[in-house]
Amino acid sequence: MLSRVADNLFWMGRYIERSEHMARYLNVNYFSSLDAPNQISQSRQFVLKSIMFMAGEPESDAEQKLKEEEVLFRIGFDTKYPSSILNNVKNARENANSARDLISTELYEAINKFYHFVSSYSAEAFVKNGLHDFTTHVTEMTAILRGKIRGTLLHNEVYAIIMLGVNIERATQIIRIINAKYHDALKAQGSYGDKFSNSYEWSTLLKCAESYDMMRRFYKKTPTSISTLEFLILNPNCPRSVMNCLNQVYNNIKVLDPDYRYNRTSTAFLVGRVRAEFQYKYIEEIENDIQAFISDILDNLGEISKKMQREFFNY
Amino acid sequence: MALDYSINYKAENDYQNSVDEAHWQFLIVPEQNSTQQLLSVDFRNSLGLEKSYSINGFGFRTIRLHATKKFGKISFEASFKLIKKDINPFDFDAFPAVEEEYQYIKTLDFQVDFEPFLKTTRFTRLPEAHLPGFQLDQSISLFENLQQLNEWTFKFLNFETGVTDVNTELDEVIRNRKGVCQDFTHLFCALARQNGVPVRYVSGYLHQGNGYFGDSQMHAWAEAFMPSAGWIGFDPTNNLLVNSNYIKVSHGKDYRDCSPLKGVVYSEGANETKYSVEVSAQQQ
Amino acid sequence: MPNIESQIFSSYQRNPLLHDEIFDQEGQVKAIYQKLFNLYGEHSIEDYIQLNNKAKSSFFNQGITFQVYGKKETQEKIFPFDLFPRIIDSQEWETIESGVIQRSRALNLFLSDLYHEKKIIKQGVVPLELISSSANYLHQMLGIDPPGGIYNHISGTDIIKHNDGNWYVLEDNIRCPSGVSYVICNRTALKRALFGVFNHYQTHTVTDYAENLLDLLETVKPHGVDQPNCIVITPGMYNSAFYEHSYLAKTMGVELVEGRDLFVENDFVYMKTIKGPQRVDIIYRRIDDLFLDPLEFREDSTLGVPGLFAAYKKGNVTLANAPGTGVADDKAVYTYMPEIIKYYLGEDPILSNVYTYHCSRPQELKYVLENVDKLVIKPVDEAGGYGISIGNKLTKKEINERKKQVKEDPRKYVAQPIMSLSVHPTYIDENHSFEQRHVDLRTFTILGKDKEFVLKGGLTRVALQKGNLIVNSSQGGGSKDTWVLKNQ
Repeated sequence: MLSRVADNLFWMGRYIERSEHMARYLNVNYFSSLDAPNQISQSRQFVLKSIMFMAGEPESDAEQKLKEEEVLFRIGFDTKYPSSILNNVKNARENANSARDLISTELYEAINKFYHFVSSYSAEAFVKNGLHDFTTHVTEMTAILRGKIRGTLLHNEVYAIIMLGVNIERATQIIRIINAKYHDALKAQGSYGDKFSNSYEWSTLLKCAESYDMMRRFYKKTPTSISTLEFLILNPNCPRSVMNCLNQVYNNIKVLDPDYRYNRTSTAFLVGRVRAEFQYKYIEEIENDIQAFISDILDNLGEISKKMQREFFNY
Repeated sequence: MALDYSINYKAENDYQNSVDEAHWQFLIVPEQNSTQQLLSVDFRNSLGLEKSYSINGFGFRTIRLHATKKFGKISFEASFKLIKKDINPFDFDAFPAVEEEYQYIKTLDFQVDFEPFLKTTRFTRLPEAHLPGFQLDQSISLFENLQQLNEWTFKFLNFETGVTDVNTELDEVIRNRKGVCQDFTHLFCALARQNGVPVRYVSGYLHQGNGYFGDSQMHAWAEAFMPSAGWIGFDPTNNLLVNSNYIKVSHGKDYRDCSPLKGVVYSEGANETKYSVEVSAQQQ
Repeated sequence: MPNIESQIFSSYQRNPLLHDEIFDQEGQVKAIYQKLFNLYGEHSIEDYIQLNNKAKSSFFNQGITFQVYGKKETQEKIFPFDLFPRIIDSQEWETIESGVIQRSRALNLFLSDLYHEKKIIKQGVVPLELISSSANYLHQMLGIDPPGGIYNHISGTDIIKHNDGNWYVLEDNIRCPSGVSYVICNRTALKRALFGVFNHYQTHTVTDYAENLLDLLETVKPHGVDQPNCIVITPGMYNSAFYEHSYLAKTMGVELVEGRDLFVENDFVYMKTIKGPQRVDIIYRRIDDLFLDPLEFREDSTLGVPGLFAAYKKGNVTLANAPGTGVADDKAVYTYMPEIIKYYLGEDPILSNVYTYHCSRPQELKYVLENVDKLVIKPVDEAGGYGISIGNKLTKKEINERKKQVKEDPRKYVAQPIMSLSVHPTYIDENHSFEQRHVDLRTFTILGKDKEFVLKGGLTRVALQKGNLIVNSSQGGGSKDTWVLKNQ
């Protein structure tokens, strides 16, 4: 496979995954805040600021009032904002276009339809009353794409590279969401005696990761900070957990580099090392200094991505 | 009497912004032919890039370099050693009757065979407005005519550097009546071709020992084909016939086919190229 | 038996001066179309509108689109597709097939001669100006022997049916002829929409093009290569034909590369893969000559591969088509095709040429200038239908302007009598009705070493504007599925 095309497939996977998380974060936060049990969590400004925080553009001025339509437009349709959902989908399709000869017609058609859906959606309708409709569609269409990726591609290098993109992006987004909701949970403390450890924000966090039901089944208790973090970071059976992503990254990198000899410079080695560290971690270690954990794991994922770039996509 | 030549070529490229990737192709290696025997080639560059030898579209030897790591500056140095035989441009049997040669170059077969060197190119197009007058005088031999054209060109233009560059076309050269060896050669080629004489642009080195124009750079001259004599070299810049002071590198239709250095550079912004040539000779 | 005056054809207006491919002079349906006509007659126009919309959205969703560059944003358009197929019977096809093979073979011999001894010029059959004044004659190609002796591996020959019922060749395209992917898409789209109609005809397949292309390209692999690695090179995804490039690569099962994916080392070509460099032996190139190699041709080309031409010259890689083929698809060369075929093959042309006046010849120029209103005037070196004027469509002012242009640079123009392209019933979306529209046919011929292949079918291009004769997609043309019937 051509290095350039591999690079495009990797990013196709990332952009598809990224658009899903952006859309779901918008959806879940916006709608769960409407009937949140405490006043802060219910506040419009609180939600809009949380959305901007997750999108990587935190509002530093606490007094600043954000305008709802502007925030929604920026995240959804602003072509000048690189991570808007529209741009993510556009980029996913551009990357698919240049690898069109390698992916299945079915997958391509699905991406193409996705793109046409998003690009022809009225931005005006979206900011006024289309938020639910649009974000639900986006998340459903990404699920279709995942199905087409798994079900219509040969499970070889092409598949492995797309899945590397998907999983690295998923881990990254999950951590960003954890970061954003952790931040929200800190801010939402105090009203109606809400404590940080059993904040309403933990349920929202789980819903943002589509993991609320699974988590309830597993712990059979109301989510707390510890149980939520443990589930989303360390539980290898939760398909959205960081641990699960790392396992998949490891399996897929072995398709590209099946070598089992000791080679400390390879990407596979780095992935294995990061994975092993998480495999045997206590959640308390993480919860003690969650900021350090977040910046650490983001660094590690960035490093893996960079190494892959050098080892496989260098053209 | 043969001469031992030693030629040094140096170039330095300075880029305003750093370059990610670059390809260079040098067309500077002396040709191996019946009057030139190349003894050695040495080529070095400041980035330690590995060189490779190839050919250009007309079969002349090239040296190529490919840089794949960031840099801002590179210098190249080449040295060649060769033996050059004596050339006597008058050593050929003239046609018994001068008309015969003029008739011969008018034949279709001849025009077909020499089509590339009869063709008008971008740099050998004469402006219609002020067409300098040069007509073949059919009462004297073709060779004498071309000697006259050589002298005519030499007198028509004044050698001056800095007025023209590699993109200057003939209408401008003729308007200013100033230029360097490329411009002299292009004008010579244009007029010879206009009169049906096949002529090719030659790039090479001139041994400067005798104070000729050449400005310690690569030199250019022309080779005309005469049915009686074959290819003979004319240097309109110096009004000379080509002899053992001239070391040929390549030929083509015009400068375009012979540019000594071509580069494909992935970078934005300007770059500056400096180069110099040193030619020294020793009698064997 | 359904009513001949079926609903969908109820408003069909037949111009008796034009050659209609499905109705004869008396307005009767020709035998070969009868079954199809009946089958289509079972549908109402409303069914048709629905089918047509479905077909359109299928093209759109599959991303079979080309870009139209506007002022603000680029738009994606589908290549309009018509649901009423064109049928060519097996006998008629045999003539077309042998005719286009004959032309491709003659052009190949012609190219080989032009880049070697040039005997045809020396013997006065064609004038020296054909090469000496052609911008597409590449001196770098002189003396090169391309693998298998093939220059124009892929030829696209455009033919038309005149109102005398005979086929004529309009032009030969032997640089990078495009359109073959649409042939296959049209077939797929028609099958999806109206699969039932296929049961009633024995039609040749068109989906075997890519495998034949790969097969024939492998016969011209470089010397000493056992298992050749073939690739397709594209200018990139913003090129208007990118869909076709990716389609061909995908169906040939080979890599689709851009210039930046390749590099040359020691005169061999390699592609950059995730497992390191891999040698490339055969390049089906969809970029123009002058962009192939910035070290040899245009220095500012970012599409090409530095050093590629030297690798080709040394025989280490095959380029299809060979560089420099453009010299032979010049419209001025077209006019000599009967002589060229006779000279190399000793045969009479199977397919006729349209008589062509050379404006470079004083006598003919005189005739052209006096009859601008009766002629089609074309620039010799433009592709895509640009710069063409059709005499009876010009105003007085335009005629005078045209005369002036031709007088200024006669060598640049040729002229032909206005050919009456045959017409075919075509569904017109705006009017919700079937109407007569002019059509032509682009055929695709592949030459390999001692082997050739013609796609049984081709791209029937339709001029969608009423009365328009220019069918190119860049000029708003559409296309039809084209059935070549099996011998029964």
